[in-house]
Amino acid sequence: MFNSIDIIKLINLFVYDPHNPLLFGTSLFLFLFFGLLVFYRIFANNKNIRIIGVLVFSLFFYYKAAGAFFIILIVSTIFNFYAGKIIASLKTDTTKRLLFLIITLVINLGALGYFKYTNFFLQILNDIHLGKFEPLDIFLPIGISFYTFKALSYVIDIYLETFQPVKSFRDFSLFMFFFPNILIGPIDRAATFIPQIEGDQSITKGDIGKAIFLIMFGLLKKVAVADYISINFVDRVFEVPLRFTGFENLMAAYGYAIQMYCDFSGYTDMALGIALLLGFNLTENFRWPYKATSIADFWRRWHISLSSWLLDYLFRPLQIKFRNVQPIGNIAALMITFIVIGLWHGASWMYIVFGAIHGFYITFSLLTKKIKKKFFELTHLADTKSLKVVQIIITFHLVVFAFIIFRAPDFMTVSNILSQIFNSFHPEVIPQFLSGYTFIFELMAFAMLVHYLPEGWRYKVQEWLSNTPLIGQALILAVVIWIVIQVKSADLQPYLYFKF
Amino acid sequence: MISDRLKKTILTELEIEDFDFVDETTANQVPNWDSLNHINVILAVEKEFKIKFKGAEILRIKNVGELEQLINAKLSG
Repeated sequence: MFNSIDIIKLINLFVYDPHNPLLFGTSLFLFLFFGLLVFYRIFANNKNIRIIGVLVFSLFFYYKAAGAFFIILIVSTIFNFYAGKIIASLKTDTTKRLLFLIITLVINLGALGYFKYTNFFLQILNDIHLGKFEPLDIFLPIGISFYTFKALSYVIDIYLETFQPVKSFRDFSLFMFFFPNILIGPIDRAATFIPQIEGDQSITKGDIGKAIFLIMFGLLKKVAVADYISINFVDRVFEVPLRFTGFENLMAAYGYAIQMYCDFSGYTDMALGIALLLGFNLTENFRWPYKATSIADFWRRWHISLSSWLLDYLFRPLQIKFRNVQPIGNIAALMITFIVIGLWHGASWMYIVFGAIHGFYITFSLLTKKIKKKFFELTHLADTKSLKVVQIIITFHLVVFAFIIFRAPDFMTVSNILSQIFNSFHPEVIPQFLSGYTFIFELMAFAMLVHYLPEGWRYKVQEWLSNTPLIGQALILAVVIWIVIQVKSADLQPYLYFKF
Repeated sequence: MISDRLKKTILTELEIEDFDFVDETTANQVPNWDSLNHINVILAVEKEFKIKFKGAEILRIKNVGELEQLINAKLSG
């Protein structure tokens, strides 16, 4: 029998709790999502009911993570739906049309800026003695950076006439609310998502294999690798780097790069897998980023939905604007874009410097392109395997260096980590480290090994999963969940990307 | 069909020997034509054909065929 306490507990499961969002890995999510799939199955022939089911589920999912702030999501959806309609109704290349686009951009970015950057801006005013301002009590609605960018791609594409406004408010709401990508992306474009709603969302045997693979692989990356090495090693070193030797600091820096990738891409994999089970293909967000042979290549493989968004809607327009002053124009467009990438992650100087460093890397590479090409030709290194390996190693280290700045709370910590690595490396602690942190080391080595395997293995596993009978698929999924539970050392850690 | 004049302009700017352009060819299929170099191709085209594109016109182009069409529209307009 239920007593009143049980019922209250049960009700509380469905109420907003800032400490317990409905993350993909939690049992409540798995339970409810299973319910949604059954609902999907029952109404296989009624698309309207299925879509309304996903809309309700999505709003609940977002409410569990953001509380009353789900109102902002709804307001933004209504606003951008009508903004798109109005822009489309105005004549091409007229001032009025441009003006309307600018108003739409200002309102969207103004809301984002208010929630995200007000206190940072006040802090700067304080620092340069332009007044004394108390920080305001502003709560950042989770996912706002992601859904604002989704909405902006919609209105800008309509302005450029590369996309027609959608007629149905239901379809536009699904694009905006869709729970798999609402919290941390991928930032899907209306032009690739909305036509899928108009389709029939049928899924093939191959899709099921791919979805199960993505969910399992994502869960393992997120819980078994990222969470484990962060709680048990990386966090401790970044907290007090001076307490650890240079070798340990270096391992923690590598560890953070692995953690960051496994955490973020793990969550994205799960998002892609979950969306696929509902019949939607989301944008690929990662393509083995540590296989990059240059920083430009890295950004074509890391958080692709954000970098391609900024490439299309910020970098290209700036590049065109500045096109008559080369190469300065290109460099200015690059630096602005990368500083925005940094700032997009949050209001802090650490993120700005992180972005600026990446901008600097690419600028340097651009300016030395001709010299490098000559050098590689003279030394017969061009297009060789050994050059590629060296380029991958250098690129990885440049990325790790920038990630130290990204992760560290302040520049003092960065300087401490670097001084430990370069001044007190203490290689004699290596055997001790290996015996003390065996499992951590094994996990890191394993993660890197899998990363550098030829890409074909993934498709082989997916194909094999697709051809496994349902009962076998369920068993495999159960084993993976069991492994994850075994490794999980504490409650689920919040995803690293949540604060953005 | 891509005119020889446009083809030659692109090849020279990208420093490549030859490439089989069709209307549907997109920048990322052509060696050396990356997002950084893109602007140099546009500048070379503007210079060769003595035309000036508007920002939104360049952003709208999806492939080489559309670039060709835009050039023709500018030349006849």
